[in-house]
Amino acid sequence: MENIDTKLREVAKRLLLEKKVDVIIGYEKGTLPMTATPCFVSTEAEADKLVFNDLCTQNLAKFVHDLITNHKNSQKRVKPEDRKKKIIGVVARGCTTRSLIIHLQERQYGRDEVYIIGVPCEGYVDRKNLAKSLQQAEILDGTIEGGQLKIKTAAGDKTVAFKDVIAPNCVVCRFNNPIISDIMIGSPAPAMNPDNEYSKINEFEKKSIEERWAYFTKEMEKCIRCNACRQACPSCYCPTCFVEQSQPQWVGIGEDKTDTQVFQCMRLYHMVGRCVDCGSCISVCPMGVDLRNYLKKIDKDCVELFGSRAGSSMEDMPPLGKYSEQDKEDFIFNP
Amino acid sequence: MAENLAKESWEPKIVAIVCNWCTYAGADLAGISRIQYPPNVRIIRVPCTGRINPFYIVKALQGGADGVLVSGCHPGECHYITGNLVARRKFATLKRFLNYIGLEGDRTMFTWVSASEGDRFAQVIRGVTAKVKALGPAKKMLKKIG
Repeated sequence: MENIDTKLREVAKRLLLEKKVDVIIGYEKGTLPMTATPCFVSTEAEADKLVFNDLCTQNLAKFVHDLITNHKNSQKRVKPEDRKKKIIGVVARGCTTRSLIIHLQERQYGRDEVYIIGVPCEGYVDRKNLAKSLQQAEILDGTIEGGQLKIKTAAGDKTVAFKDVIAPNCVVCRFNNPIISDIMIGSPAPAMNPDNEYSKINEFEKKSIEERWAYFTKEMEKCIRCNACRQACPSCYCPTCFVEQSQPQWVGIGEDKTDTQVFQCMRLYHMVGRCVDCGSCISVCPMGVDLRNYLKKIDKDCVELFGSRAGSSMEDMPPLGKYSEQDKEDFIFNP
Repeated sequence: MAENLAKESWEPKIVAIVCNWCTYAGADLAGISRIQYPPNVRIIRVPCTGRINPFYIVKALQGGADGVLVSGCHPGECHYITGNLVARRKFATLKRFLNYIGLEGDRTMFTWVSASEGDRFAQVIRGVTAKVKALGPAKKMLKKIG
């Protein structure tokens, strides 16, 4: 991937100087080697820490929503005529812009409240994959050059090909270039290979119902209900999540395993027509629950039934928010 | 022996979430017309199928229902014009998803019964009860209380 850091910093500085944005959400170098972490830049001096590379994992649309909501809540105490509008700049790759489109379609904020700095993306490194290929050795330092990760680990130096540790959702990414942007940095990235994106799902569907249930229970037993997936997901922005509701209490707070299953089942179902397959939930999951198996199924159903891909365009509204008289009715029970 | 007895005397519990304007009136008509149907069904009345949160269905299954039936007005006959059309999309994806995770598809049923179809309502209940009976008691995602 071409190095766009300098250009990104230049643009960020200019935008801050011209007061086009109040804050820019981007990535900076992480505190651990070979990581990148989300950061907020509100002065020109800070703009020098911005980076964008193959280690940037999290979907930044989540922070855009959080910042705007917090700002709007804080403005509630201000007289209407004194209210200030804040414009959030965001460094956005393909999946981030898809999430932003979902927010805009769901009328979470206006298009003028967010300034999208589009960046091309060739996929990111899956930390769990990387750790596996390094046999869990501690990473001390490393660089990425020309599709090769040169990594210094506690167990000696290693070279890993980027294509071996790329996140599985990036391999089949359909929208790796920003769909909407106010400014575009770098040249568009080459297309990924989305042809076989549902091959695993098709395989899983062929399994017997007992096998599928056994896999679901096995995966959900790993879940410790830390809610990290919900916190990282840009589509999970309810002011009060159903998990925390007590009247009615949807999900019991004990360690009953059916409560975990119900929680996961409902959180996954909330993603109908809203999951952009950014992989944020999977990357933050401390227990390595296979959420993607289920999220991708929901995505597949949406394409099959309604011909809609989450956040693929501003015009294509969320599938569950509309209807068609020609919708399939094959599931209706007729005695 | 005791197990066999329990098996023989087992009757499924079915939760029927029905809309006020069509299916509930249909159920009423079935009652007024003295049409016999299995007593396994517990009816919950909601204003419209569009009002049904998919959580209700999952929560009913977790809470011990052996089957869940959702029924509303026929498409195009909704009291709120489009409530059931929006609901249809929700149910199509929910049914597929529940089947995918491994819950039997026959435990969640969706159908349309209009206010004049007392006969059809009885048929639907007969059909659903027979299907759920064939599946046996629900064991998956069932919360044990106590």
